[in-house]
Amino acid sequence: MMSQHPATWGQPTPANSSFNQFNTFPLPQTQRGQSSHAHHGPVGHTQQPLVTGTSVLGLKYDGGVMIAADNLASYGSLARFRDIQRLHPLGQHTLLGVAGDMSDFQWLKKELDALLREEDALALTDSHPSLSPKNIYELLSNLFYARRSKMNPVWNAVLVGGWDKVKKESFLAYVDLLGTTYTAPTLATGFGAHLAQPLLREAYEAKAGIDGNGPLLTKEEAEKVLEDCMKVLFYRDARSLNKYQIATITSEGVDISDSKSADTYWKFAEGLRGYGAQTQ
Amino acid sequence: MNSVLTQLQPSAPHQNRLEEQDELDRTDAASWGSMAGFGNLDRTGGVQGMSIPRVSDPTSFLDMHTDNMSSNPDAKIKIAHGTTTLAFKFQGGVIVAVDSRATAGSYVASGTVKKVIEINKFLLGTMAGGAADCQYWETYLGMQCRLYELRNKERISVAAASKILSNIVYQYKGMGLSMGTMVCGWDKTGPCIFYVDSDGQRLKGDLFSVGSGSTFAYGVLDQGYRWDLTDEEAQELGRRSIIAAGHRDAYSGNTCNLYHVKENGWDFIGNYDVNELWYEYEGKKKAERESQNAAAAAGASPMAVEP
Amino acid sequence: MALYHNQPMAHAQEPTAAPIEHRFNPYSDNGGSILAIAGTDFSVIAGDTRQSEGYNIQTRYARKVWQLTDKAVLATNGFAADGNNFVKRVKQRLEWYEHAHHKPMGLKSIARMIQTMLYGKRFFPYYVYNILGGIEEDGSGAVYSFDPVGSYEREACRAAGAAQSLIQPFLDNQIYFKNQQPEPGSQPFIPGNLPLATVLSLVVDSFTSATERHIEVGDGMEIYIVMARDRTTDDLLGEGKLQKGMEIEELGTLGEGQGERTFLVRQALKRD
Repeated sequence: MMSQHPATWGQPTPANSSFNQFNTFPLPQTQRGQSSHAHHGPVGHTQQPLVTGTSVLGLKYDGGVMIAADNLASYGSLARFRDIQRLHPLGQHTLLGVAGDMSDFQWLKKELDALLREEDALALTDSHPSLSPKNIYELLSNLFYARRSKMNPVWNAVLVGGWDKVKKESFLAYVDLLGTTYTAPTLATGFGAHLAQPLLREAYEAKAGIDGNGPLLTKEEAEKVLEDCMKVLFYRDARSLNKYQIATITSEGVDISDSKSADTYWKFAEGLRGYGAQTQ
Repeated sequence: MNSVLTQLQPSAPHQNRLEEQDELDRTDAASWGSMAGFGNLDRTGGVQGMSIPRVSDPTSFLDMHTDNMSSNPDAKIKIAHGTTTLAFKFQGGVIVAVDSRATAGSYVASGTVKKVIEINKFLLGTMAGGAADCQYWETYLGMQCRLYELRNKERISVAAASKILSNIVYQYKGMGLSMGTMVCGWDKTGPCIFYVDSDGQRLKGDLFSVGSGSTFAYGVLDQGYRWDLTDEEAQELGRRSIIAAGHRDAYSGNTCNLYHVKENGWDFIGNYDVNELWYEYEGKKKAERESQNAAAAAGASPMAVEP
Repeated sequence: MALYHNQPMAHAQEPTAAPIEHRFNPYSDNGGSILAIAGTDFSVIAGDTRQSEGYNIQTRYARKVWQLTDKAVLATNGFAADGNNFVKRVKQRLEWYEHAHHKPMGLKSIARMIQTMLYGKRFFPYYVYNILGGIEEDGSGAVYSFDPVGSYEREACRAAGAAQSLIQPFLDNQIYFKNQQPEPGSQPFIPGNLPLATVLSLVVDSFTSATERHIEVGDGMEIYIVMARDRTTDDLLGEGKLQKGMEIEELGTLGEGQGERTFLVRQALKRD
């Protein structure tokens, strides 16, 4: 067989060479129309999350949308990484809040950032429109559904918050590892769907009404509600941390706050038996 | 050893699709041109793009999520199932009779299913097992039979047609197809019935009944069956058998559809309500008994015996 | 099939030989219900707008009913992600067909296409129950219903989804007149030719009642009405024809238009 290596091009390969130049398996020829996997079984995939982030909350308010997530990445019940950011901006007017597997999240960031760099490059040379939050959301939905259909899920639940420059309105939507998608004025993933979502809905509907036609929460009100929700989550979600960030996405762009903590109150526990560590 | 075997065997239609070739990324023009109506056929008319889940054991995957093989009745995806069907040959042709109930778990999904599939003017197929498997593959069989006619300038025999069907389902053996069908028709050899099922079994015979109600149907069928039945007697026997099965088997019922295959093709005889007919039969039996009792009491017929 | 059923407790007696494998489950159930009723020259296709998972309401407005062509509307129910993606593919195929043939696909062809598309995933099924409604080539109203792997039939009415077992018996009684006797001497019942107003109130009653008795149904409903060409719209658009709280809009024609008209009626349902 002829060597294909640039340095030894055209020379015969050693007779005992077992190196497969074309990287095919097990035969050193490409098999046309035939799966090379058929010979050594299907591919195994990561079937469970390892390092995980918990709830992400999202809320539409007057002039934009707010997304909150804490700074913890857990390794099972271990609070392994206490300073990671789960809010990730994409371009000028979109932000992801990601729960679930953190390594899948990192992969997702890498892929989406690469895509956005390409888009930015295109925008330099012609009047290429930038990706709207809806565009990015559609892409994520298709990606998540395609991966679940390959039985190789992207193990995350993602909130996409954004500002649509053309329609001049806020955008908030959900997509998860099954490819399930939905949108609503208030959203929460994981534990937050149980604990925070009712509070978010209550606050939203108190002003906007059930049809959403009334006035929306002001920025201050929205922030207050989210802080309350993060506190409630910290009280009861054992995989949460009292150190979180809130991102606001408006026509002005994305703003991610510094990490902050909610004021918590534990005094009540002192006289209670069965709450926390006790000697008797 | 196993890998040697897999290399020797002709690749089954599904095997090379395990990999990247999702039906989503098909680019064959046939999938959007005039073939778009029967959209998963390629330009040769072969079925393509049956997507398989990428798991180590696709069959147990299917079993886990569907009630397909009836081994997992709690599964969320309930597939409609068919139930009592029968067909028999006699001097006047072939009688085909079926019920019309489809069940998904214990829910009666439909009471108006057409379980006799009209493959063409001379061929009928029956539906038992997975409704979609029967409907889909027998429709496909109809296309293949038409192509046979165009290529050979004569009608396909029942034997050949049934073999096409059995060869198709044999390719998918062990993957969870579920069908028990009778291919019935009239060809050069006269009336003909072939039983074909998803295990790959294909049997020629005079009398078959398939489905959960088949035992009840066989009971009535066997006690009344003769080769020299008249047309009317044969039709009544087929109808009576389905009514009995529909009444006694919980997974069968609603109505009975009756077909008669003769030399010039099949005739649809009628649709009968199972419940109504059952009580009509019961009424007749009762009236007969009473008239005989009355006759016995009058001493007109001392030899009368309860039938 | 009864013949092949396992003994109900058979699985309970099996020893747990191996630890239960934790595997990825690609399916979910998002609740909700859909229904369709065919009239002589119209077809009504409806669904609620709640999307849920377990006891969580994910959103109070998610679409389950989709306009495909000027004379076809499709309702999907089951696993929402499968449903949305299936509809997306159906629409794409309809567009390809129109480019190839310079005419929209007819209703019965769409029905057959849906069968083949569902069956294409026979070994990895879409967990979706489909109901297709619309106007047939001959101008009659039609409803086609499908199981998840593509078996289908044309019917006068069909309910599917979480509340199918609540709604379908009601429709059987009201549309097919099942278990009803006509009064002695009066006309026999003929299924499938109820007036539009009657059908609409049956749809509304079906959903309001299902909302009361099923936790996965509620929030809102969308009722699509497809009308045959040259049919009067007085019984829909006329004064006082719609119940209180209903909003109606006409959906513009998608293609060149052959006179069929599609209307969308929305109404709120209870949210608890």
